[in-house]
Amino acid sequence: MNRVQKIAWSLVVTISVAFLLSCIAIAILYVKVGMPKALAGLGFMGIAGLGGFSALIFQTEKGKVTLDERDRLINRRAALAGFGTSYLLVGLACMIPFFILGPKASISVIWLPYIFGGVGLNMFFVHSVAILIQYGRGGKDGEK
Amino acid sequence: MAKSEMQNQVRRLRFEHGEITQQQLADRVGVTRQTIIAIESGKYAPSLPLAFRIARSFGVSIEQVFQYDEQET
Repeated sequence: MNRVQKIAWSLVVTISVAFLLSCIAIAILYVKVGMPKALAGLGFMGIAGLGGFSALIFQTEKGKVTLDERDRLINRRAALAGFGTSYLLVGLACMIPFFILGPKASISVIWLPYIFGGVGLNMFFVHSVAILIQYGRGGKDGEK
Repeated sequence: MAKSEMQNQVRRLRFEHGEITQQQLADRVGVTRQTIIAIESGKYAPSLPLAFRIARSFGVSIEQVFQYDEQET
């Protein structure tokens, strides 16, 4: 498993854990205190930020080729998948309220940071998953 | 409809040139071992500069390493 795969795995794990804990926290708070305050459960999404340290933990080995043309191609395709799904999510976030609430309705601007954060996390998540899929799930990539 | 197939002789040439390892070949041409594995198994078609570097590392022409077959299906 190379450095890029290790970083991708750590991002997938941290974002998944953060998302799961947030959902659980929001569900519990929704039952206890109701909806606006239940959104405090989104604080658990901060755990996803720990994934940013993975680039520091998994450092490049000096004097060894760690990134070549194939890795760059895989990264470019993964970035395309990440940005593509993010564009789709922004589109859904814009069009679903339009079709449900109607053209004359209005929504609170408080949703904009949530959409921005959610789309950003989705981009990192899909990017990482796409990297892992392209290298092969086992990470050994046919090594013999 | 035309179906394109890239074949290569990298594994055979490695053994014919002193049984060099995948890592040694990777170091010679400046890529990772994973990329050599992917090329040998036909999962990855290298760029022209890399294909030339691989051919030159064996001292043969590029056509002796990589073959391109266009098959009508």
